[in-house]
Amino acid sequence: MEDFEQELRHAMERQPAPSSLKRKIMAHLRRAPGPQSHAVLWQRLAASLALAAILGGGAVEWNWHVREERRKGEAARQQVLTALRITNHALDHMNRQLVAHSRANMN
Amino acid sequence: MQNRIAALVFCAAALAAPALAQTAQLPAPSSIEKELAARASNVDEITLDKNTLALASNFMAGKNKDDDATRQLIEGLDGIYVRDYEFDKEGQYTAKQIEQLRKYYETSEWSPLARDRDRKTGESSDVMVKLVNGQSRGLFILDVEPKEVSIVLILGPVHMQDLHKVLGVATRGALKGTDAENSVQTKDKKSGNQ
Repeated sequence: MEDFEQELRHAMERQPAPSSLKRKIMAHLRRAPGPQSHAVLWQRLAASLALAAILGGGAVEWNWHVREERRKGEAARQQVLTALRITNHALDHMNRQLVAHSRANMN
Repeated sequence: MQNRIAALVFCAAALAAPALAQTAQLPAPSSIEKELAARASNVDEITLDKNTLALASNFMAGKNKDDDATRQLIEGLDGIYVRDYEFDKEGQYTAKQIEQLRKYYETSEWSPLARDRDRKTGESSDVMVKLVNGQSRGLFILDVEPKEVSIVLILGPVHMQDLHKVLGVATRGALKGTDAENSVQTKDKKSGNQ
């Protein structure tokens, strides 16, 4: 019985906390997410998603704009080439007429 | 203060006016063209203003040799207006219509460069240039064949060397002697005027 009491007294005896305990607890607290840090995390996630959506939308818009410009440019190029083809045809016809009339006049 | 602003606006307008006046406007299609289009079996109607030409020019940059030559030709032009009417059979237009068409474009600022008429076939060709201070500022071609009528109007500084480069052989004969750009020739054939 005496042994037991002695053991109990020894167990209940006040002892100073190890010096590293405070540091460990503080580090743990810093690491563990509290309710506030959860809100920040969600806010950050939402902001990231919004930014990604804006950037994605911008990229799609830019891509469409580039494609549209290319389409318009190619259409304009084709029109220029058609116009020049018709011009060439008209001048060629005139050239043939002038040559034919020159020959007729010479004969 | 108000007087100063008014003076500034007046000066800006005075400076801008010549620049605006130099940019020639493309014509609206004449009623004859609409009539021809209604009878034609194939119609090409091309109207390219300065902005569209600039767009095409940018698109042609550095593609190939032909595109580069074309780019050089169209750069600086104010506009290109082309109409081509092809008919299934002959007699789809009258000489009067062609004369009206010619008059529609033949204003005082245009000088005839080459003219050819064939009374037998009804074919005719007109080439006119717009000269401003001895410089070519436009080219007009009206080509009439039994089954085809073509109208070409190029506004702006037309450099014949660039035109030769792009169009090749055809222009060398028809626009012979135009490199001087101020020499105006009229070749009116004995075979008759329309």
